[in-house]
Amino acid sequence: MTEPQQEYTSQGISHWRYWMVVAVMAALLLVILVRLVALHTVDQPFLYEEGEKRTIRSQVEPARRGTITDRFGEPLAVSTAVVDISINPSRFKLENAAPLAKVLGLKANSLHQRIESAQARGRGFLYIERQVQPDIADRVAELGLSGVQLEQKFRRYYPAAEVTAHVVGLVNIDSNGQEGLELAYNDYLTGTGGRRTVVKDRYGRVIKQVAVDAIAEPGKDLRLTLDLRLQYLAYRELMAAVQQHKAHSGSAVMLDAKTGEVLAMVNQPSYNPNNRAELNPEQMRNRAIADVVEPGSTMKPFTIAAALDSGRYTPSTKVDTSPGYLRVRNKTIRDHRDYGVLDVTGVITKSSNVGVTLLSADLGAETIWKTMTAAGLGQASGIGFPGESVGVLPYPSEMDDLRLATLSYGYGLAVSPLQLAQSYTSFTEHGCRRPATLLLDSGTDNSCQQVMSAATARKVLDILETVTSDLGTGRRARVPGYRVGGKTGTAHKVGQTGYEDSSYTAVFAGIAPISDPDLVLVVVIDDPQGREYYGGEVAAPVFSRIMEQALRLRQVAPDDAAHTTPLRMAGGPK
Amino acid sequence: MKLSLLLVWVLVIGSALAQIAVAHQHRQRVQQWQQLESRRDGLQQEQTRLQLELSTLTSYARIDQRARNELNMTEPGDIRTLTP
Repeated sequence: MTEPQQEYTSQGISHWRYWMVVAVMAALLLVILVRLVALHTVDQPFLYEEGEKRTIRSQVEPARRGTITDRFGEPLAVSTAVVDISINPSRFKLENAAPLAKVLGLKANSLHQRIESAQARGRGFLYIERQVQPDIADRVAELGLSGVQLEQKFRRYYPAAEVTAHVVGLVNIDSNGQEGLELAYNDYLTGTGGRRTVVKDRYGRVIKQVAVDAIAEPGKDLRLTLDLRLQYLAYRELMAAVQQHKAHSGSAVMLDAKTGEVLAMVNQPSYNPNNRAELNPEQMRNRAIADVVEPGSTMKPFTIAAALDSGRYTPSTKVDTSPGYLRVRNKTIRDHRDYGVLDVTGVITKSSNVGVTLLSADLGAETIWKTMTAAGLGQASGIGFPGESVGVLPYPSEMDDLRLATLSYGYGLAVSPLQLAQSYTSFTEHGCRRPATLLLDSGTDNSCQQVMSAATARKVLDILETVTSDLGTGRRARVPGYRVGGKTGTAHKVGQTGYEDSSYTAVFAGIAPISDPDLVLVVVIDDPQGREYYGGEVAAPVFSRIMEQALRLRQVAPDDAAHTTPLRMAGGPK
Repeated sequence: MKLSLLLVWVLVIGSALAQIAVAHQHRQRVQQWQQLESRRDGLQQEQTRLQLELSTLTSYARIDQRARNELNMTEPGDIRTLTP
């Protein structure tokens, strides 16, 4: 206390200082007040929204694409869950590239470069890897790297691969149908994705569902008429034949003779829809539907059917085909050799061009055309397959005697293997043709079209059976235990300079068993390179092998008495 | 007068507590529902995976090859068909 004490009095502080402090305090209060008012009024909507943004999330659930199965429910196209992994490069730290690459099994260097260049260009989005298996995606999520986004998607998988590739088709990486039924029924198979608004807490758990904006609706399933067992064996036998004859391509179509349902439809060459890296449009075409061939002699039964249906011919009416050739206009129509006098049945058994030419000239273009049109040739099948070929059938008014003659033995018109198979159901269902269908229970009109009388159809069936007899051209189409009928066909392929001499299409169209037809099968082998090129040599054996196994698989009772033993043997089944 | 005020007070507090309890329950239910849904998705994934595995293992091409190559099976040669 050595220093003198100072005395503070109100007189010692000037009044203005006191009031300044008060004013500053008041101003601060005012500022706070104004700010408060502003936050609550002017900025309120913005702030509210920002707050919501941090807690409210819109959740998207992708819809599962419908499954495609065969008639017994065997899966042909299935969607499995996968994850698309992407990053936001601006929020991604480059040093995290190495661990990310390690989990995904990518090269660390190249990933580093991709991210670096994306960052340099200021991009906000970059796919790291698409269609990752869920368990690997879980491990990426466990890394907890910032800027990494996982999006749930689906990947399409085709268990039967090459065997059903042409019918089923395929989808692209975004699950949109590109080919085949995947394309034709894309809308039906694709569901609608769901979306809902939820509130999440800071751990990412959903605590409140605000609204459901769209209910996820999975795509509907598609059930085909195909029988995968028959499909597989048809594929195997066709592939073997195409390889054996070094053919350019081949197709086989098997129909249920009673309903017109497509049980098998295969083509060579084929492709694996699970491996998109090696796709080639040449392999992807469904030749059985999209390509047309000149059916050659397989059309003769329709000329015969027209003749029988006219009432002026019976199977035993005599037709004189000597001397084995016939001049129409400036073209000579030839048989393999002079068959002399044949009956109508024999014209088919021997496949006599001269015979059917004589018949068609007598019947006229109108009659032949009517039968062939009713059989569905030159018309859309209504099967609803993308890229279907309608084929070509000339109108009667366009036909002179030469065109009529060639039409009667299957030249000058073009049909797809499917159309050919479908037309042969005219003979199996009492003269009524069934439209071919690929979808089970499709609900479409399945009423049949009367092509010829039931009696005529029966007669033609019996005539077709003679083709596989010892006298016929289709001996190698026989199936032990069953009565089999059909017709061989060999057509010269059309090249740049008209019909080519050494390039052929070998065809066999057949029906089994004859007593009560169950299956119609058409085999087309395009441009066989070996010494054999006739339909009876190349296509008929394939028909026989497929048919034999198919009939056994379908448990069709054998109807050939000559090859069956009565059940009376000792020790035999009771 | 005092009694009714007290009653209102008790009611207000009671309903407030009930509100809290219901909100809590709702949260728990939503979480539960989420868990069940993700479990359903997981089972669905598992099911398609198994379906694919089954169809791969039982594919005709595979059975055909194994029957021929590993079990040395052949197609029957002499078929006799018996009719009743």
